[in-house]
Amino acid sequence: MNGPRRELDADVERALADPAQQDNPLRPLLAELWDAYRSHVQRMDRVTRLSDQFQAIARGEHLSHSQQFEKQLRQLAKITRISDRYQAMLHELNLALSHASTHDVLTGLANRRLISERLREESERCDRHGNRYCIALIDIDRFKQVNDVHGHDVGDRVLIGVARALESALREYDLCGRWGGEEFLVLLPDTKLDHALAAAERIRDAVHALHFDDLDPPLQLSVSVGIGEYHPGEGADACLKRADHALLEAKREGRDRALVG
Amino acid sequence: MSRAIEMNDINIPGTQSIPSIRADYAAGLLRMAGDSYPENSFELFGPVIEWVEHYLEAETRPLHLDLALLYLNTSSIRAMMDIFDLLQAAHDNGRPVSVLWRYDRRNERVRELAEEFAEDCSFPFEISPTAIDHERS
Repeated sequence: MNGPRRELDADVERALADPAQQDNPLRPLLAELWDAYRSHVQRMDRVTRLSDQFQAIARGEHLSHSQQFEKQLRQLAKITRISDRYQAMLHELNLALSHASTHDVLTGLANRRLISERLREESERCDRHGNRYCIALIDIDRFKQVNDVHGHDVGDRVLIGVARALESALREYDLCGRWGGEEFLVLLPDTKLDHALAAAERIRDAVHALHFDDLDPPLQLSVSVGIGEYHPGEGADACLKRADHALLEAKREGRDRALVG
Repeated sequence: MSRAIEMNDINIPGTQSIPSIRADYAAGLLRMAGDSYPENSFELFGPVIEWVEHYLEAETRPLHLDLALLYLNTSSIRAMMDIFDLLQAAHDNGRPVSVLWRYDRRNERVRELAEEFAEDCSFPFEISPTAIDHERS
């Protein structure tokens, strides 16, 4: 209670107790008013206390709600973060799987699956636009002998070496893949026969240049190459067949050469 | 009838999309292993969360989680966080709880993700590169 009111209260109480005022005609009225005032003040105090309590409860609820909200927000952020990382993990795994399913493990070159797909695409493209492409089938000469004389681990080294030699001899947009065993396939898009033949000679040179210094007896590698040119509308198999035929012919003529089918 | 008998053990064989889940009430052990992207994760994890809740409420014995989880979809992550929250609350009340999250050492990504989960947990949470038996059926 504030100062002036407390003073007033004291004055009124004093006046009511003052014997000199006992006969004042206004005294009973003041006494009644005083009682009414006192109970009114008490009620006000109670209402204020109750109101304060309710406010405290509401405030507490608000705090716990906002705490809960904060907690859920943190949780959501965490779930999102973890979920994103799992997705990134899956994505990487997908990429790795996709690479693994389209590439040869030993040489890292495109595998037969990827080559077949690219051959089909390239054939369709040529059918639409009337372009040409060439296929070169490349077979390592006397590879079985390499395996027999030096062992399979050297055979693997030779395959890897030839793969790198092929890549070094080709343009970036040529596709080079392992067709099977010791046979490789090169797809030369937008390429005519004479250029394909030049590429085959570059390949033969790159293979000739391979050295395996630690081997005894020394190893001199060569490859035979069969080239086929695609004719729009015929389908990749027909072209493959010509390249295969040329490769057989190159082998038959004594190996270490490139022939056109 | 004691509550331990009321409370059934959980034994869910794993599939390609759900982890194997084994809850052994007597041993105080919950094992989960494998990938988790169930169609209805509430259906799968609801009973597991209940089991943990109930065990922590009814028993005073320790609870140990042995996990070898790989991929978790978002709702599975949420379920795991709920389980870890239960463990944290129990730990705050002085209950012995612990987690061992095993991962294939070739997959460091899984370790990183387990670490994310462990971040807010102050109870023993071990992440260990060990041999994993995926317990797939």
